[in-house]
Amino acid sequence: MLRRKGRLQSLAGLLEIPQDIVMDLPRITMLGNKQLLVENHKGIIEYTPSLVRIKLSQGELLIYGQTLTLGNLQAEQILVEGVVQKVNYDI
Amino acid sequence: MISNANYLRGAVKIRLSGSMPERFINLCIVEHILLWGITKTDEDLIAWIRLDDFFRIRPLVLCSHIKVKVLAYRGLPFVIKRIKQRKMLLLGAILFFALLYTLSSYIWFVEITGLKNIPDQEVRTIAEQYGLKAGAIKNNINSKAVEREIALQVPEVAWVGINFTGTRAVVEIVEKTMPKQEDKAPAHLVASKDGVITEIIVLVGQAAVKNGDTVKKGDLLINGFAFEPAPTALEGQPPIINVPKELRARGIIKARIWYEGYAETELQQTTVTRTGNQQIAVAMKIGSSEVSFNKLPEQPYPEYETEIIYKQLPLWRNREVVVESTITIYREINTEHKEKSIEEARNEAHAKALQAVQSSIPETAQIVSRNYEVLKTPAEDIVRVKVNVETIEDIGQTINIYH
Repeated sequence: MLRRKGRLQSLAGLLEIPQDIVMDLPRITMLGNKQLLVENHKGIIEYTPSLVRIKLSQGELLIYGQTLTLGNLQAEQILVEGVVQKVNYDI
Repeated sequence: MISNANYLRGAVKIRLSGSMPERFINLCIVEHILLWGITKTDEDLIAWIRLDDFFRIRPLVLCSHIKVKVLAYRGLPFVIKRIKQRKMLLLGAILFFALLYTLSSYIWFVEITGLKNIPDQEVRTIAEQYGLKAGAIKNNINSKAVEREIALQVPEVAWVGINFTGTRAVVEIVEKTMPKQEDKAPAHLVASKDGVITEIIVLVGQAAVKNGDTVKKGDLLINGFAFEPAPTALEGQPPIINVPKELRARGIIKARIWYEGYAETELQQTTVTRTGNQQIAVAMKIGSSEVSFNKLPEQPYPEYETEIIYKQLPLWRNREVVVESTITIYREINTEHKEKSIEEARNEAHAKALQAVQSSIPETAQIVSRNYEVLKTPAEDIVRVKVNVETIEDIGQTINIYH
């Protein structure tokens, strides 16, 4: 399994295919500390104005901040708006 | 909080209260139900949801054990709903547009432009006869026919154009320029100026003067009564009374005419010019006491002129206590003395005198000679110039015998 993943990764590098698609990894984009876009997530675990927990394919993403709101909630992406102070990637 | 696409489809703001609102969010994500603007207040989640999605969340709500409450709604579907409830408003709007449309299809004003001699009413009656009048429906008017009828019925019209601008019809008319009616009344030709006759050409009538005659203004030049040579009366019969024919005298009578002009110039000349500097004093008078707002020295400039402007309130509100303000403007002036040579002064006076004469000479006059003389005067600081201009011109002036 691990060997197969390594092969896939090298193939993706060879064909210049974006790795997040091949590897099923989340793509996290931050705009300053105002917006945080998580693509390819697996759902929300917890939401409070000071903490957002997002389930990923492996582990979870913890976003700490103030007055956090979920701007755009879709199957592929979550947009977290507000003041982002800390992003924690737990595996 | 609401975009254009969502406005058209309508959006609902909902409050989710329960133990696990996150679970509901995840369910929505799985079901491809779009949620946005999610915020948390205390224990409740507040989110926006599309109106059509709102009717799909019922099974999700049931299995996630939460309560949903609608807080607000925005969008076109709700506006339409509100309008449906207020039918009279809609009716009014429809009535407004219908009225606007119908009223704008009528002619309300008929304007006639370009008339000089034709009476306005004449054109208006013809236009009304053929349907072009206030209150007529625009589409029913055959403007080509009206144009044609006006052109036919009014002989003085050269061209007619009708065009509509909104509810106004503009009838544009170009008139024919008719040749001037010649006056055929019998008339004399008299002198319009004093002069000495130099040339006589009689076209109609009998000459009353001959070459070299001196005439005064108003003297008869060509007689409008033409006496035919009287037939010799036969013996034994009463002498035939010669009745003169009445004619309109015409002809060209040229005469030599003298014009005289006079002008003088002083050798010493003072010119006064403003320097542009000025000071303004403002004073206000209330009843009998006067208050001045800014004090000025008694004599602000060595040489100056003053202008005083009074400002008063209208009489009706100024009856009891007289209130007025006085603005005095002191303008500095500069006086210059200039000495001219005799030559210069003479030229100037000559030019001035010529100019004075020129205004009374008609343009058609032929100038024969032009000379000037400097008059001797006891005063030495002044130059006086007299100009004589001699012309030959037509002095005939037609005056009707019977007025």
